[in-house]
Amino acid sequence: MKRKIGVYICHCGSNIAGYLDVKKVVGYAAGLPSVTVARDYTFMCSDPGQDLIKNDIKELGLNGVLVCSCSPTLHLRTFRAACAAAGLNPHQCEMATIREYSSWVHSHDWDAATEKAMALTAAGVRRVLYRNPLESKWSEVNPNTLVVGGGIAGIQTALEIASTGEKVYLVEKAPSIGGRMAQLHKTFPNLDTTGEMLKPRMEMVAASPHIELLTNSEITEVSGYIGNFKATIKKKARAVDAAKCTGCGECWQKCPVNVKSEYDRGLKDRKAIYLPFAGAIPAVPVIDKKHCKHYLDGSCNLCADVCPTKAIDFDQADETVNAEIGACVIATGYDTFDPSPITQLGYHRYDNVVTSPEFERMLAADGPTGGKILMKNGGVPKSIAIAHCVGSRDQNYHPYCSRICCMYSLKYSRIIKQMLGPDTNVYQMYIDMRCFGKGHEEFYKQASDEGVQFIRGKIGQITDITQGDEEKGKLIAVCEDTLLNDMIRVPVDMVILSVAMEPRADTEEISRTFLLGRSQDGFFAERHPKLDPVGTMLDGVFAVGCCQGPKDIGDTINQATGAAARALELISKGRVEMEAATAYVDAEVCSGCGYCASVCAYSAIEMDDKTHLAKVNEAVCKGCGACAATCPSKAMQLKNFSQKQLIDVIEEATREYAGLSK
Amino acid sequence: MGEVSTQYVTNQKQAVLVVGAGIAGMQAALEIADSEHKVYLVERLPTVGGRMMQLDKTFPTMDCASCIGTPKMSQVGSNRYIELLTYAEVTKLTGYAGNFQATIRKKARSVDIAKCTGCGACAEACPHIVPSEWNMGLSTRKAIFTPFPQAVPNVPAIDRSVCRIFTKHPEKCGAACVRACAAKAISHKQQDEEITVNVGAVIVTTGYDLLDPTPMTQFGYGKYTNVYTSLEFERMVSSTGPTQGHVQLKDGTTPKSAAILHCIGSRDRNYHEYCSRVCCMYGLKHAHLIHEKTGANVYQMYIDMRCFGKGYEEFYKRISDEGVNFVRGKVAQVTDITRTDEEKGKLVVVCEDTLLGEMIRVPVDMVILSVAIKPRADAKDVAAIFGLTQDKDGFFQENHYKLNTMGTLTDGIFLAGCNQGPKDIPDTVSQSIGAAAKAIALVSQMEKKQRRAGAEVKTG
Repeated sequence: MKRKIGVYICHCGSNIAGYLDVKKVVGYAAGLPSVTVARDYTFMCSDPGQDLIKNDIKELGLNGVLVCSCSPTLHLRTFRAACAAAGLNPHQCEMATIREYSSWVHSHDWDAATEKAMALTAAGVRRVLYRNPLESKWSEVNPNTLVVGGGIAGIQTALEIASTGEKVYLVEKAPSIGGRMAQLHKTFPNLDTTGEMLKPRMEMVAASPHIELLTNSEITEVSGYIGNFKATIKKKARAVDAAKCTGCGECWQKCPVNVKSEYDRGLKDRKAIYLPFAGAIPAVPVIDKKHCKHYLDGSCNLCADVCPTKAIDFDQADETVNAEIGACVIATGYDTFDPSPITQLGYHRYDNVVTSPEFERMLAADGPTGGKILMKNGGVPKSIAIAHCVGSRDQNYHPYCSRICCMYSLKYSRIIKQMLGPDTNVYQMYIDMRCFGKGHEEFYKQASDEGVQFIRGKIGQITDITQGDEEKGKLIAVCEDTLLNDMIRVPVDMVILSVAMEPRADTEEISRTFLLGRSQDGFFAERHPKLDPVGTMLDGVFAVGCCQGPKDIGDTINQATGAAARALELISKGRVEMEAATAYVDAEVCSGCGYCASVCAYSAIEMDDKTHLAKVNEAVCKGCGACAATCPSKAMQLKNFSQKQLIDVIEEATREYAGLSK
Repeated sequence: MGEVSTQYVTNQKQAVLVVGAGIAGMQAALEIADSEHKVYLVERLPTVGGRMMQLDKTFPTMDCASCIGTPKMSQVGSNRYIELLTYAEVTKLTGYAGNFQATIRKKARSVDIAKCTGCGACAEACPHIVPSEWNMGLSTRKAIFTPFPQAVPNVPAIDRSVCRIFTKHPEKCGAACVRACAAKAISHKQQDEEITVNVGAVIVTTGYDLLDPTPMTQFGYGKYTNVYTSLEFERMVSSTGPTQGHVQLKDGTTPKSAAILHCIGSRDRNYHEYCSRVCCMYGLKHAHLIHEKTGANVYQMYIDMRCFGKGYEEFYKRISDEGVNFVRGKVAQVTDITRTDEEKGKLVVVCEDTLLGEMIRVPVDMVILSVAIKPRADAKDVAAIFGLTQDKDGFFQENHYKLNTMGTLTDGIFLAGCNQGPKDIPDTVSQSIGAAAKAIALVSQMEKKQRRAGAEVKTG
């Protein structure tokens, strides 16, 4: 069949045309074998751009299309849809990435960038040359959704989906849902208490017949693909029978073992059998086996003895839940930076240097100080310094901005003034005041009007080595006041370090389980910051909330609701388009070694009973190509990625360097 | 011109109305269409796209806005679930969640969409020239016009407020456009049309306006030739704009220095107390573009550098490394009254450099005012139609400032984008997808309820 290929070079505004000679590439493309027409346009992805392709298909009878522009992850679907609309099988359309591979990376060498674009175009034409039309396949979508993480983000997504009557598995690692928000006292900018916002939502989750809540649980394995994932969830044993427990509290009151409470950031103790916090859901305690004497040396049965309903079950086994879902939403949250390495700030060295999360617990009525702002010795501080950007905007730790600290630092300032009186000195040592959201600037002004003192300069050092009587017994915050252009020493009773938000310690593990990418800052990578801020590179898997990047509660809820939209769309459609470029076996060549079946991650290959040759299950095959790469005799190939096609493309791309004639 | 498919899907599902087809509206419409619900996407201008299509590159990645916007525009124009109603406005909304009736006035374009081929001959022939709103008045358009070449639908409209035939202009044009049109698509007799549709939910995504800095006489906008607002500069630096992306002064020469002034009208008790959220970042973007295109000396006069998003701080550092000069202090005045030889012929930016502790005078060729984002001029009227309330700054009031910024005080009516408050494109898209979720959830619940009750679903 005579090949008639259309080549379209995109200017991409000035992103391509500003850095290489587009006209030269067009001229070169027009002269390539099998190319019927070559054109260029400012934005190929726009309507007029797509029309060029559609008209040429209809009028010139094109049976292959190459668009030289941006990355296929952006617009391959767009161009394939355009071809389909004009009656050409979408798999006859391919892209050559002359933006990311040439104009964007060789922006200072016009000639070289042009040459490279020409090579990529020639290779692209060869790529299209041997392509075959492929048929779309569809797969049913499982209407269940898996939400990983029961903080405000996970709760929001789950509630939104459950409101339509669809089932959600909400998996939470800790014994209770609530996440970081449950550890907060009040939120900016209205100073509402988090309890009144979070508690009702936690209760709705517990009450919803559509949400299967699995706390004290973790995902151990995930397989499958969009519309058809399988997740193995390990429900770790609480050692308490939830059906019998009444939440009376006798067990933890009698327990003799004290452990530092994670919820209270180590500032208060809990017991070995414990409820993480007063409003925990489920309201069923859990035994911390690492510290419980019964498990360590069998020397204690106190809780079991005092439990009026005999709900303690030391032999309770972990449970495995197998969930089948259509979509997964990752909402695993964040950790905070430990400022110990920044020794000059004196954290863990001086009593009254605390981190922001620790201070937050201090403010809470159920916290280590019963909601009072107190120094280690029980005294009331008369002056407090709040240090911004501890670990953020810092080449040595995290170059990024943690987005919420300016606002919560202001929040602390105002709460301190409210609780300790307007005469308490509150100092904010900042670089920039990032108060960008609705009501935030006004909040800043209120803090300023209330007499909070702002010092523009990051704190260089906290020391207890004092100079003069005024400084005696205090901590000195040494910093440059950039507006006074002077080093200053500020004597205070207490220092709060506004520490950076960081990705959780288990981010690596989660990213491996769900095949998630990570951005440079270590948080999960969104598919595209503008085109798709809730998706990830894996279809059907979404990442929302702070696990994707620092943000406040409002922005978290927006993003989490967005992920719900995506899940609902999948469910509403009921089916999803499958990869058409699947693997196939040349039975004449296959020797039946079975290597292909052993590397298939989707169990899509079977060795036939009678012929003992490999057989591909097209419905399950995801087209990853692992089998084709493994097959020693090249009997296993991937449609439109055959050995011949690939080698041809490489030869064309490297023609100049391989010394082959042009 | 692409084929206009009038084959919209009809199914047993409820429809949703989306008002405003900028990035927020287009994103919401596409999400809802993806859930196989019909969408009526209403847009006041003759084309979809909104403010985002007026932008050239977007921070922090310097992606071009068109590369992201035009495919979405194309999709809303061709998706079988989306009935696109451009050059149209919602005039009335009655009913309640799950059962709204919306009256939509389709303004007469004076051009038949089905016949028009988008050839552009009409605009070429038309003799009447007016300033182009799309290009912020930096260039002109005709009375019959398409806002920009990638418009969807790619069909011009006649601006009847200036068209000589309607205004009975003394200089006749002899209906030049009609004569030039080979497809016979133009008719000055075309009438407005009114339709009423039934929808289950409404999402209002009407966008924002920018502050007009003319009253701030100290900055010389409108008085000095080379003082621009940020959006005017954005059009200049766009490859599809009035100067094809060349940064130049009004007289065509290339500037050797430029000053970017932050917080013009924002963080200002005399105008708007709030922060407009995106200007620090687009100020950096402008600085980068000016420097890259002209090598000019760029100064940024700021109060705080608000670079809070993913990749934003890193972008700040990159621009700083490129040699942009940061001056911490809001500009008090822009003047052409010069004192020294160095200042001669230039605009002088007078401000306090708070880090030096001194007043300074910075002579530059060009000044860009980062003006405040504000609610649209007709926000009050739109609020009345959709039963919305406005917050103290005139933006539409969300249901809860933290827990539900997409809902409003009326069930079934949702918000997304800058009409609820200033925000950048990633946050707009997130919120818009969230609003779509709420709309989809609502109509899905309604459909389930009605199916259970054995009632017929009221389809659009």
